[in-house]
Amino acid sequence: MKIGIEIHQRLDTNKLFCGCPSAQSDEGKPDLLMSRRLHPVVSEMGEIDEASMAEKSKDRVFEYQVFQKHDCLVEMDEEPPGRMNMEALRIGLQMAKELQATPVDEVQPMRKMVIDGSNTSGFQRTAIVALNGCLESSKGTIHITTIAIEEESAGIISNEEGKATYRLDRLGIPLIEITTDPDIKDGAHLFEVAEKIGMMLRATGKVARGLGTIRQDVNISTDGGARVEIKGAQDLKMLPQYLEIEVKRQTALVSVLAELRARKVLPISSKPIDATEIFKSSKAKIIEGGLKSGASVLAMNLPRHKGLLGREIQPGKRYGTELSDYSKRAGVKGIIHSDENLEKYPISQDELKKLAKKLDMGEQDSFVLVIAPKEQAETALSFVLERANMDFVPGETRRANPDATTTYLRPLPGKARMYPETDVPPIPITTDFLKSVEKGESLDEKRKRLEKILNKEMAGTMLKSRNLHLFEKLVASGADPTLAATTLENTLVSLRREGIELTDPEKTLGELFEEYKKGAFVKAAIPEMLKGMAKGARVEAVLKVYRLQRITGDMLDQLVKENYYDMTAIMQKFRLQVDPQEVAELVKKKK
Amino acid sequence: MKEGCLMYSSKLQERLKSKGIDIGDRIKVAGPGGEFTGFLMPRPHYGDSDILVIKLSSGYNVGLKVDSIELIEKSKASPKPASSEERIKNGHLSILGCGGTIASRIEYKTGAVYPSISASELRQSFPALKRWAVNSRQIFSLFSEDMNASHWRLLADAIDEEIKGGSNGIVVMHGTDTMTYTSSAISFMIQNPPVPIVFVGAQRSSDRPSSENEMNILNSAYTASKDFAEVSVCMHATTNDDYCHVHRGTRVRKMHTSRRDAFHSIDSDPLFSVDYRTETFKPLSEYRKRAPVSEMNISKKMNDNVALIYSHPNIKPSLISKLDDYDGVVFIGTGLGHLPANAFDDKSVRSVLEPVKALIDSGIPVVMSSQCINGRLCMRVYTSGRLLMDIGVIGDGMDWTPETAYTKLCWVLGQTKDMKKIKEMMVTDYVGEICPRSGTQIV
Repeated sequence: MKIGIEIHQRLDTNKLFCGCPSAQSDEGKPDLLMSRRLHPVVSEMGEIDEASMAEKSKDRVFEYQVFQKHDCLVEMDEEPPGRMNMEALRIGLQMAKELQATPVDEVQPMRKMVIDGSNTSGFQRTAIVALNGCLESSKGTIHITTIAIEEESAGIISNEEGKATYRLDRLGIPLIEITTDPDIKDGAHLFEVAEKIGMMLRATGKVARGLGTIRQDVNISTDGGARVEIKGAQDLKMLPQYLEIEVKRQTALVSVLAELRARKVLPISSKPIDATEIFKSSKAKIIEGGLKSGASVLAMNLPRHKGLLGREIQPGKRYGTELSDYSKRAGVKGIIHSDENLEKYPISQDELKKLAKKLDMGEQDSFVLVIAPKEQAETALSFVLERANMDFVPGETRRANPDATTTYLRPLPGKARMYPETDVPPIPITTDFLKSVEKGESLDEKRKRLEKILNKEMAGTMLKSRNLHLFEKLVASGADPTLAATTLENTLVSLRREGIELTDPEKTLGELFEEYKKGAFVKAAIPEMLKGMAKGARVEAVLKVYRLQRITGDMLDQLVKENYYDMTAIMQKFRLQVDPQEVAELVKKKK
Repeated sequence: MKEGCLMYSSKLQERLKSKGIDIGDRIKVAGPGGEFTGFLMPRPHYGDSDILVIKLSSGYNVGLKVDSIELIEKSKASPKPASSEERIKNGHLSILGCGGTIASRIEYKTGAVYPSISASELRQSFPALKRWAVNSRQIFSLFSEDMNASHWRLLADAIDEEIKGGSNGIVVMHGTDTMTYTSSAISFMIQNPPVPIVFVGAQRSSDRPSSENEMNILNSAYTASKDFAEVSVCMHATTNDDYCHVHRGTRVRKMHTSRRDAFHSIDSDPLFSVDYRTETFKPLSEYRKRAPVSEMNISKKMNDNVALIYSHPNIKPSLISKLDDYDGVVFIGTGLGHLPANAFDDKSVRSVLEPVKALIDSGIPVVMSSQCINGRLCMRVYTSGRLLMDIGVIGDGMDWTPETAYTKLCWVLGQTKDMKKIKEMMVTDYVGEICPRSGTQIV
C-alpha cells in the first residue's frame, strides 16, 4: 500500500490575483447573481483531459453569488488576473526553507482545468514554488514532492440536476499546497505527518484560522486496487478512518471482481430498454413524479449480477452505489437496482415480472433503472455500463464524506488539464528575494520558546492549537502566558459548549487581560466576565452588572472579620470577587 | 531548431542544439534542486532567457537554471491543421476569419497561434454549428489593433465574393478592440446587402473553459440565418451566458476593457436579443429585412489618410498645424462639440481656432464628434461651437460615435474630393449612422 498526502492551507493575505480581502462574507444575501456555462479546452499538449470531459457531459448551468465587498471583476472572470500576491509567494518560500525544499528559479503560473463550476474561469491558477523537500517523522523521512501556491475555489451552495450554485467570496483566496511522496506507512503515521505539516504552517503565523481553512487530500493505492485521491478531509483525526475504509472498499471491489470473473460476466453488452409503459401507473413517488414531468423509465439488464449489486463495500454503501455514482455524471439523481429493497419505493411484484420479461432476465440476472428524460437516462445507463465493464478497480478522485466514507467525484485528473496561465507573467525567484524571505522560527525553536513560558503539556497543546497566533499576540501585549493559554484552550471551549461565542476574540481578550493586570477582578471571574463581554458590554459595565469587582485591601479585611476568619465560608460566598491567596494570608495573620 | 527555442538565450540555444533538443522533447535536467525529467517548453517573451521551462509529469511547468541537459526522447510531430476543404456552392453560412481570440488555437509546443477556422475545426470546437452548412475562410489573422483600411478592403472583397457566391448569411470573426471601426467601415462600403453580415468576437480567449466564444458564435450564426440584412455586431448582452445583443454596425461601441457585455448600442436600442438555445430572435428596434442582391450598393474605396484627434486641456495649436498632410481630420471634442476657441478672448488661453481654420481653408475637411460618446452635437449653443461652425467644422446636429464619424470621413473621401459634396455626404444618413431623434435610453 502506498500513501501520500496533499495539504491545503489558506493564507492570511489578500487574494492571490486581485486586491480583494481574503475574509469570507457573513452576509447571506449576495449583491449580484450571474450564470455561466463552461466547456473543456484542449491542453497545450493537444489533449483533452478525461476528468474534464466527464464533467462536460453534465452540460450544466452554474449560478454564482457575488459579494461586492469580497469580489471584484477578477472573481467574476470579467477581468484578467493581476500579478501574483508576493506575500503569499513569500510564505510559500518560507515553508520551502522549513521543509528544505529547493525553490524554482522562475515560478510559472499554470491553469489547472476544473469545469465543475467551482472556478468561474474554468481553471484553478496554481504554481510550483519549490521542489524536493523532506520532513523527519517517527517512521522515517517523508519526501516533499512539491510546494505550490494556488487559488481557493468558490464555495458550493447547492448542486441540483443541471445546475450548481456557488458563492464567490472564497474564490481566489491563496492556498499553499504541500504534497508528499507516497512515503506514509499507515493511518497513525498519516495523522502524524498531517499534524506536523499543519503545525509548521501555523508556526509561520501567516495562515488563516478557523473551520475549513485547512484541508487534506489523501492519495492511496493498494495492491490489486488502484490509486484513489480522497479530497477535502477537514478533520485530521478522521484521516486514519478514511484510510481504513478506503482499503476495505478496494478489497471488497477486488472480491466483487473475482466473483464477476468466476461468473464469466464481463464484458457486458446490455442495451437500455424503455420500460416507461410498465411503470405508467406506478405507485412509487419517484417514478410517478418523474413520469408527470415527462421523464422516461429506462432499464438495463446486468447479467449474472445477482447479490453483487447489494454487496456492502463501504459502511452503508453497496457495489450498486458505485454504479449509481457513475450514473450521476449524466446529471441524474441515481439508479434503482434489483438488489435493493424494492418495496420501499414501492415497486410491485407485477411490475417486476413484466420488467424481467421485457429485459429477458434469467434467474441470476439483475436490473438497473433510471428515471430521467430519455436521452439523459440513456447517457446515465451508458455510464453505469462503463463502470460495470471495468475489469479492474478504477483510479478515481473521491469526495471525503463526514462519516468517513467516500463518494466518486470524477476520474483521476491527468496532466492534460494543465496549461500555462498566459495572463500572469512568470516570477523570477532572485537571490535577493530569497535573502529577504525570513526563515522565521522553526517548529523546534518555537517549541523550546513556548516551553520556557508554559509547562510542557500546555506548550504542546498551544503548538498544535489553531489559537497559536492569537496566543502569541496576547502574550506579546503583556498577558500572563499560562492564563492566556488556559483561557484560549479551556475557558473559551467550555463557553462555546454553552453556546457563547466571542465575535472578536482578539479585541475582547486583549481588554480582559489588560483589566485583569490592573487588578479589577480575580481569575475565577474570567468565565463570567467573558459571558458578559460576549454580549458586547464593556469591562466596567460587566463588572458592575455581574458584581465582579475585586474585593481587596481594607474592604477585604472587613469582610474576613465579618465572616469570622472562616476561609471556606468566605470562598463559598465570594469566590468570584476575592483572591484566595489574599484571603488565606489574612486568615493566617489572625491566627 | 524549431521557432520556440529562439526565446531562450543564445547560450542555451547552443546547448540545446548540440544535444539535438527541440521544444516538446522529453529531457532530463540536473541542477541544485536535484534531477528532473519533463518536456521542454517554449519560454514566454519576458523573464530570464537563461531559465529553462520544463513540464513535469504532473503537468506543472517550472522554470529552472540547470547544470546538465540530456535528451530522452524526441517529441512526436503534432498534426497540422487541415488546409483546404470542399466548398459549398449555395445557401451556405459563410464564416470569415480576421483573427482575434475568438477561434484561435495556441500550439504551446511551438508557441504559435493557429487560427482554427476550417469548417471541420469550427464544427469540432462548436458542435452546435452542425445545423448550418458552413463555408469558412481565413481572410487574414491579426490583432484587431493592427488592422487598417487595407484590411477593411480585403474583408469587403471577401464579403462581396461570398454574397455573389450565394451565401445565405455572413459571420465575421474579429478581434474586439477595433471591431466597431471595421463594422462601421463595412457598413459604408457594402450598403443594402441582401443577407446579414454579423461581426462577432470574444472578450475571454478561446483557451479558457469560460470563453464566451461558443455562445457568441452560435448566436451570430443563428442571426445570420434570419430575415434581416444589415451589417451588425453580435456580442454578450449581460455578464451571464444567457443571450446576445445584435447591434447596428454604425451605432455600436466597446465600452469596457474586459467585460463580456462590453458592447453597447449608443443612444439607441440594440436591433435584437438573440438566444439560439431557445430559438429567440426578438427585435428591439426597426431593422432592414433581406432584399434582392440588386439593391446592394458597393463602394469600397476608402481614404486612409484621415486623423482622429482627442481634444484635451493644454492641446497645442502647433499640433493642429502639423495635421496639414492629412486629407481629413476628425476631432473628438468636448461636451456638445467643442475645441478651445477662446470665446472670451482671454490672454491665458491657447486657441486652436486659427490652425483649424487654416486646415479647412486648405481644403481639409474637419469633422466633430464628442468625448461624451452619448448624446448629440449641439455646436450652436455656445460661442465655442458657433466659432467652430463659422469656420466650417462639420458635425452640428450629428449623434455619431467618434469611430463612425471617422470611418465615414474615410469612406466619403474615398468617394469624392469636392468639399461641398463632402459636407453634404457627411451629414446624410446612409446606414443608420445618424438618428433623426435622440433616444431616451438611460446611459
